[in-house]
Amino acid sequence: MDSKKKNQWKAWLYLLPTLLIIAVFTVWPIINTIRMSLLKNYDDLRAIGGMTFEFGFANFVNVAKYQGFLNCLGNTMILCVVTVPISTMLALIIAVALNSIKFVRKTLQTIFFLPYVTNSIAIGMVFMAMFQMVGYTAGGEPMSVGIINSIIEAFGGTRVNWVNVGSGKFENMVVLVIYIVWNALPFKILVLLGGLQSVNKQYYDAAKVDGTSRIRTFWRITVPLLSPMIAYVVITGFIGGFKEYSSIVGIFGDGMGPAGNSGSLNTMVGFIYDNLNHNQGRASAAALILFAIIFVVTMINMWVSKKKVHY
Amino acid sequence: MKKRFGAILLSGVMACSVMVGIAFSTGCRGNRKPDFEMPEGGFDVNNDVTITFYHSMGADNRKVLQASLEQFKLLYPNITVVEEAQGGYDDVLTQVKNEIIAGTQPDIAYGYPDHVAEYNQSYAVQALNDFLPGGTYNDYTVQQVKLDNNGNQVKNEDGSYVYEEVSLNITEAQKANFIEGYYNEGYLFDDGSKMYTLPFSKSTEVLYYNKDLFTKYNLQVPKTWDDLEEICKKVKAEDPSLYPFTYDSESNWFITMCEQSGSGYTSSSGNNFLFDNATNRAFIERFKGWYEKGYFSTQAINGGAAGNKYTSDLFTAQKSLMCIGSSAGANNQIAAPTDGKYPYQVGIASMPQVNPDKPKVISQGPSVCVLKQDDPQRVLASWLLVKYLATDVNFQAAFSMGSGYVPVLKESEMRKSTIYATHLDSANENNVTKANITALAAKVCMQQEAAYYTSPAFVGSSTARAQVGNLLLAAVTGTKTIDEAFKYAIAECEYQVG
Amino acid sequence: MTDKINENEVTPEQQSVDSQSKVMKKKDIQSVSKKQIAVKVLVQIALYTFLIIMALIVLFPFYWMLISSLKTLDEYNATVPTLWPQQFKWANYAVAFETDGLNLGRLFLNTVIVGVVSTLLSLVVTVLAAYAFARLEFKGKNALFAALLATMMIPGELFTITNYLTVTTFQWRNTFTVLIVPFLVSVFYIYLLRQNFLQIPNELYLAAKVDGTSDLKYLWKVMIPLSAPTLISITILKMMGAWNSYIWPRLVANDMAHRLVTVGLRGSTFTDAMTNMTDYPAQMAAVVIVTIPLLLVFLFFRKYIMRGVSRSGIKG
Repeated sequence: MDSKKKNQWKAWLYLLPTLLIIAVFTVWPIINTIRMSLLKNYDDLRAIGGMTFEFGFANFVNVAKYQGFLNCLGNTMILCVVTVPISTMLALIIAVALNSIKFVRKTLQTIFFLPYVTNSIAIGMVFMAMFQMVGYTAGGEPMSVGIINSIIEAFGGTRVNWVNVGSGKFENMVVLVIYIVWNALPFKILVLLGGLQSVNKQYYDAAKVDGTSRIRTFWRITVPLLSPMIAYVVITGFIGGFKEYSSIVGIFGDGMGPAGNSGSLNTMVGFIYDNLNHNQGRASAAALILFAIIFVVTMINMWVSKKKVHY
Repeated sequence: MKKRFGAILLSGVMACSVMVGIAFSTGCRGNRKPDFEMPEGGFDVNNDVTITFYHSMGADNRKVLQASLEQFKLLYPNITVVEEAQGGYDDVLTQVKNEIIAGTQPDIAYGYPDHVAEYNQSYAVQALNDFLPGGTYNDYTVQQVKLDNNGNQVKNEDGSYVYEEVSLNITEAQKANFIEGYYNEGYLFDDGSKMYTLPFSKSTEVLYYNKDLFTKYNLQVPKTWDDLEEICKKVKAEDPSLYPFTYDSESNWFITMCEQSGSGYTSSSGNNFLFDNATNRAFIERFKGWYEKGYFSTQAINGGAAGNKYTSDLFTAQKSLMCIGSSAGANNQIAAPTDGKYPYQVGIASMPQVNPDKPKVISQGPSVCVLKQDDPQRVLASWLLVKYLATDVNFQAAFSMGSGYVPVLKESEMRKSTIYATHLDSANENNVTKANITALAAKVCMQQEAAYYTSPAFVGSSTARAQVGNLLLAAVTGTKTIDEAFKYAIAECEYQVG
Repeated sequence: MTDKINENEVTPEQQSVDSQSKVMKKKDIQSVSKKQIAVKVLVQIALYTFLIIMALIVLFPFYWMLISSLKTLDEYNATVPTLWPQQFKWANYAVAFETDGLNLGRLFLNTVIVGVVSTLLSLVVTVLAAYAFARLEFKGKNALFAALLATMMIPGELFTITNYLTVTTFQWRNTFTVLIVPFLVSVFYIYLLRQNFLQIPNELYLAAKVDGTSDLKYLWKVMIPLSAPTLISITILKMMGAWNSYIWPRLVANDMAHRLVTVGLRGSTFTDAMTNMTDYPAQMAAVVIVTIPLLLVFLFFRKYIMRGVSRSGIKG
């Protein structure tokens, strides 16, 4: 009993630095966010100028009524729902494949981790260069065609307008999905491969004895055994997906869409940023809405994984 | 664990709110002050004062600035200027805004009028009216170190400086030296009664044309948009693979058309956004027709996803005959010579007009504003510096020649700088080279000084600017119908300020 | 071990054993197992093909970055992009190093200082917190831990303005403190390490208690050595974080004495004032220079990064 009491204050002592920093740099901003979200059109500059702000839910109403709000929400959802399964599946396949080879495995492993150590803006520029066509002449011929379209043409296809003026949303999304998946792969591969290597080999031995096929082994043994790691990368993937922003800036610039259709690819975080410039009240309201969405989705994810994940 | 999640978060938040709230409510943030009050004795030359100047200049321009600051230091040895490059214009904006909120704003900020309008939501910007001809401090003088003919400081035998009294204000004579449109840009705000910025260095848009191709197709330089349309028809009939013209900035095109037609664009008070009107819809309809016939390209049509590939590449490749672009980019409009011979001769002219009797061309480029401080000596020192940079012909000449921007002072005044006079005289319409094209562009700019217009600056004016550019592109390329494009742009703008 | 098992083997360790056994058994193998070997070879070929194609896709942007850093500006802007520089312009690297106002050396030094100090402090804070959550009993432990995890879900962008005001009030601007302290705590790292601590058998702790070992001593002598891979992973992730951070450093410490690498890189340093054209090859060269140390760190510590992350499974 005595030692337990001692533990109490000791635990708090150990936690003190953490809690102190969290209180100042995380909790206080959250409180401030809630405060700002409830003041109509609050902005620090205007507040300093002596303006007063109406208290209420006007910011939330304005955000919900904004013509681009559903678009931002929709884009965010699409990106999440598409990129998370693709990147997880791809990462899983790559991890399993890596785990099944021996020669040059270390080298390949390193290569797959590379995107983790790059500067996202620089790589965004590279992706843009790969997909775009620039310098249209009056005949409609671009002076410069990105490598992707060159490849398509080499295989006898016709060029696709991926990211330029007049490009369709589907094409834009394809480029974004590729970029985001590319970016998300290394972390996922790393986690899944780590998981695979700690899986007890006896399960596989048993499968071999039973004569189970590779595909069946994959679904019946690998996936269930890896389920904690899969759940982990899916949950963090969704959280990251809901915060998608910089990948779009990387490719489409601050306009958040191809030229002539700015804002068409905007996301929730982009929407928060747009507002942050002039109207922190609204930005705060948007952020709280985003938080609520992420919270609900994460809870659902956790609930699903509780049911499906094997421990 | 899950059930308690929300409750815990909430209670934790509340507990901390009390704790942290107390800590922060005492923090001092207010910064409101009345208009400038002159300290007793005016500017004090005996005590050191340090001021900071935030800008977004690249390395080369920065060197020009630093050289000029050394000169300034000779005149006012007690003023130390710390100049900091903040990255791009937007970085200056963000940094200054945050610093105003925290009460640590710099003394001078370099940027666009839009930015100043944002800063001034907090009344942090010093109105300069007091220091203008006819202003409150008209009779005030400051002590400035006397320089001899070689530009060295004159000192007494005991080593102290010899001072001379100069006007604190901009004098009538100095005011008359400014290009009027640039000077008046300082009044763009609110009801137009207060001046918040001084012009720093400016640029405008001019028409670059390919003289050889003009001769080949027997064309005259267009004075109006109708002339331009005729040229387009002619060129397209001769060679459909050519763009008759390109216009770099969609936003500038829209705004300039509003200005030239006298139709509304924006207003700094009342209903801010006036650009959805019949005249504007008509010119967009017209441009849409042009686009469909392949008459023009713009930097976004030409460029990639991020939308900024200047159309000068089409012009230099001789795939377009004319290019309407920034006067500061003249250097990009001339192709590299092969064996000392230029592939084509560039001509520079004023851009086409709706009504050539009332020409309008955009004025753009950086201005500077002075931010309020608790210490009036800092404000005075800042004023002395911005006045110096705007009125000193040597600085204006060096900066202009280095950056491609044009000086804010009239040609007659600028010719007092022998270097600049030589520079201007090097312009030769009949033999344009890499070396003298900037001078020719500057000359054309100076000749159209009566035509400059600027648009009102207010919170949301940068949104309007971005939106009309997007509108033009969306409508001409058919991404949106004309009606949709206008309605969308207006809704976006109104959401921003609403 | 029968041939049947061979067909389904998955792990590399077994593969090596199997290939030996294959050789040995080769003589008395029947036609069935020949077919199985063929299948296996095909599978291996397919695996390698797939992995190599994926690896090429992953590598391409890097390749592009490298060749771009060696092109002349004209070639970079060429209408038809070249896959290999026509002439190697190594001078881009010199430009990157010598550009006025960039001062790459100083940027490196600042970044290393911030990286090292913040990593060390962060390790201390993280170890203490993870220990408390993993081993000590106190009221509201689970609830507090859940609340901490919840903060991970909030878009951090929103904190920026408030935190900026806070550090200004503390007068921390343009110091190393402001680059280090606000990010000392990472809930993610606490979480990682707590998972790791939980995997250490409780019996060890109880035994230590019986011996009268103090908590701190136990932490130092047992827990930390056993969690070394995770700690190294955290160290590396934290260093990478310091290397890549941008928005916050730019806002609060943009003077030359404290400016970090990314902030220096993304300014308009490489934009020529006269033509307003950015010297992308030189910028790319700078990006390459900045990426190399990170790459080396990764190559060096790959094993630990992998191990650390793999042990972070979400049991418990």
